Amino acid sequence: MNGLNMTRRSFLAACGAFGAATMVVPRFALSQDGSVLTVRSYSDLQVLDPTFRLSLPEDDIIRSIFAPLVIPQAGDVWGWKPIAAQSIEQLDDVTIAFTLKDNIGFTDGYGQMTAEDVKFSIERFADPAMESPYAGDWSALKEVEVKDKLSGLIHLNQKFVPLWSTTLPTPASCILSKRAMEELGDKITTKPVAQSGQYLLAEWQPKQKTVLKRNPDWAHEQGGFDEIHIIPIEDPATAERGFEAGDLDYTWTSVASIPRLKSNPPPNSVVLEKPSLAYVWIGMNQDVAPFDNINIRRAVQHAIDRKGVVDAAYFGAASVGNGIIAPGLPGSRDSVTYDYDPDKARDLLKQEGATNLSVTLDILNQTDRLTAAQVIQANLADVGISCEIKQNDSGTFWTLGSKDGDYWNKLQIYLQRYSMQPDPSWATVWFTPEQVGVWNWERVNNAEYKALHDQGLGESDFGKRDEIYKKMQGLMDESGCYVFLTHEVVGAIHRDTIQPGLKPNGESLFSEFKSA
Amino acid sequence: MLNYSVKRLGLAVIIVSVVMLLLFTMIYLIPGDPAAVALGPRATDAMREALRVKMGLDQPIWIQFWNFFINAWQGDLGNEVLSDRPVTDVVLEQLPFTLALIAGGMIWSIALGIPLGCWTAIQPGGIVDRIIGILSVGVIAVPSFVIAIYALLIFAVSLRWLPAIGAGDSGDIIDQIIHLILPSLAVGLGWVGYLARLVRASMLEVLEASHIRTARAFGLPERLITYRYALTIAILPTVTLLGVGIGQMLSSAVFAEIVFARPGVGKLVYDAILTRNYPLVSGAVLVTTVLFIAINLIADLVVGVLDPRVRSRL
Repeated sequence: MNGLNMTRRSFLAACGAFGAATMVVPRFALSQDGSVLTVRSYSDLQVLDPTFRLSLPEDDIIRSIFAPLVIPQAGDVWGWKPIAAQSIEQLDDVTIAFTLKDNIGFTDGYGQMTAEDVKFSIERFADPAMESPYAGDWSALKEVEVKDKLSGLIHLNQKFVPLWSTTLPTPASCILSKRAMEELGDKITTKPVAQSGQYLLAEWQPKQKTVLKRNPDWAHEQGGFDEIHIIPIEDPATAERGFEAGDLDYTWTSVASIPRLKSNPPPNSVVLEKPSLAYVWIGMNQDVAPFDNINIRRAVQHAIDRKGVVDAAYFGAASVGNGIIAPGLPGSRDSVTYDYDPDKARDLLKQEGATNLSVTLDILNQTDRLTAAQVIQANLADVGISCEIKQNDSGTFWTLGSKDGDYWNKLQIYLQRYSMQPDPSWATVWFTPEQVGVWNWERVNNAEYKALHDQGLGESDFGKRDEIYKKMQGLMDESGCYVFLTHEVVGAIHRDTIQPGLKPNGESLFSEFKSA
Repeated sequence: MLNYSVKRLGLAVIIVSVVMLLLFTMIYLIPGDPAAVALGPRATDAMREALRVKMGLDQPIWIQFWNFFINAWQGDLGNEVLSDRPVTDVVLEQLPFTLALIAGGMIWSIALGIPLGCWTAIQPGGIVDRIIGILSVGVIAVPSFVIAIYALLIFAVSLRWLPAIGAGDSGDIIDQIIHLILPSLAVGLGWVGYLARLVRASMLEVLEASHIRTARAFGLPERLITYRYALTIAILPTVTLLGVGIGQMLSSAVFAEIVFARPGVGKLVYDAILTRNYPLVSGAVLVTTVLFIAINLIADLVVGVLDPRVRSRL
């Protein structure tokens, strides 16, 4: 025992010295060597099957590890660029021709990617037996015809304009190995088989980290980093602190933080503000009193100071929106058909004999929603409507208007936000008669609206589409069930040593991130 | 002692059973459709219904509870809704992170709380005693998430001494310890105050005992009297308190895991509640409850060994 002459006091001193040493050693961001990118995602991965994916962060991982025909183009303009496709073009309204790059291989010994794999992967989406939530992406699909080893034709039943904006540039064009999937006999969960993309999933530590590494066999355009570490952080404030502490290279921020970050950005960082595709509105359930009376609904439309609500909730970072379709897309509007006119609102309420009205405003329990709700509450009080704000957690909120629940016939007025893809049909689809009691909580059942929605899906002329979707939003205004508030903005922050690959709405494309 | 141990174990089994009933009832009283939340906006009615059937939600509630009860006692907590992985695997993956966090919190509270308690007991009423008394009450009163946020802002964001998020690289124990310092401080700091106050009160009582006076009369050094003869007795009440403390630290761990974006059972349950992932909520809460009961059981048994009067009470 002579060799280890350690007293309790010297042991404690050594521990203290070690602790102090660990605190004074300077820490470095992971990406300082330029080979590792550390980014935040708002949720952990749960399903890696393109056909059954659940969230946007999974989209990004799936696109990176299973080569898609095309991916969205990074930049400020919506577009796409080929990844697995050597060429892809629309031959006529219902035919798309594709040819694959010659040397894309699947891992795990599943050989080269062929047109047979494309046929399998796309038809798997559309197969009713698969019950994919994304079957609608390929709802117009007739079949995929294999011409030879690398080329084929995608045949549609009818013209489908969103194909190039919201189907092909999503994981709906990711190609899986037919042989691997048939051997698996089930959907892919968190263990990918037969990967083929620019990156490979190297490691998944649940709730902690997902690591993508360059695919050594990928012979085409390379991603910008050797490794991408994806850290799931749900709370944007936590992610912002993580960025400021040097633990992240890129993160989305909360809208509320944008003014603070822009006025005082952390050292060596760039703050971005991108237009969002989301839309936020006040909805009124027309099947429940008092909103079964159109004049009461119109009174609410006139009672709400939309600019006041948006300025308060988003600290001036967002502007007022005039519909469900974001600027830049066909159907985007400059105005609504109702204005802020409290006197008119009071007149309408008086005309209907609606005195001492009391309503419940349901919202999601988020700070910006509560702030907006408080302004709405004040606006309604100003015209004589008493409004109680009811906050709901996300699990409760998203089922409030469901016909399967027991609250839809009590739901009166609510603050709602939907996100969308860059095609107006993605916004309008939720308000069709089929969606009554599903996502159409206003319960507006308008056949003309449905007909226009169907017409828009097959119309490729920008001007005509613009007209169709503006008319549809006009019908929404007429119903009195909607007060459109904003399209929000997307905030992001990144190190000045990287150049983020982002879609025009700020959503990330991991494989498009580069060193600055 | 055997009789005492069997009685304590029986009581623990009853408590776990009651907790399972309460847990099941509470989860199913929460509004919201787990199938709709899990599958998202694009799922059809048929898909949602199929998931409800898969989760057993189409069955009468008493059958659901009976299945849950029987399966849980057999160690089968079911499969997670979204990824279809066994709940037991998912929970056991996260449990070590929470245990490490609580152990770290305990180390902070013991390493600081006991010496501070002794120090103030030696000079009661002095300036040090008063300052530490105020600080102790202060850290007891401040919620752990406030401590977490300020610790993060000071040591991670401003000074950049310690990391702000994550649990460190797996396989790199030093990195994991460094990632543990701030979250465990947030979890354990409140208990520093508790322990300091408890040890101080206990020490003051013991220092008045006859055997301590006798030791002083024999001229033994004050340091020896304090740390060998007084502290070893005064520390006994903290054994039981630590069992309770672990329960409270488990709840504090939720905040620390969210603020520091650490994996762990607390965050797992929080996320699972938001997504109405019933099997995961019930499995994770059940495992945590069993852990808490087991720790308290051990604490009770230890006290039973040390104090025969306790054994005769049950």
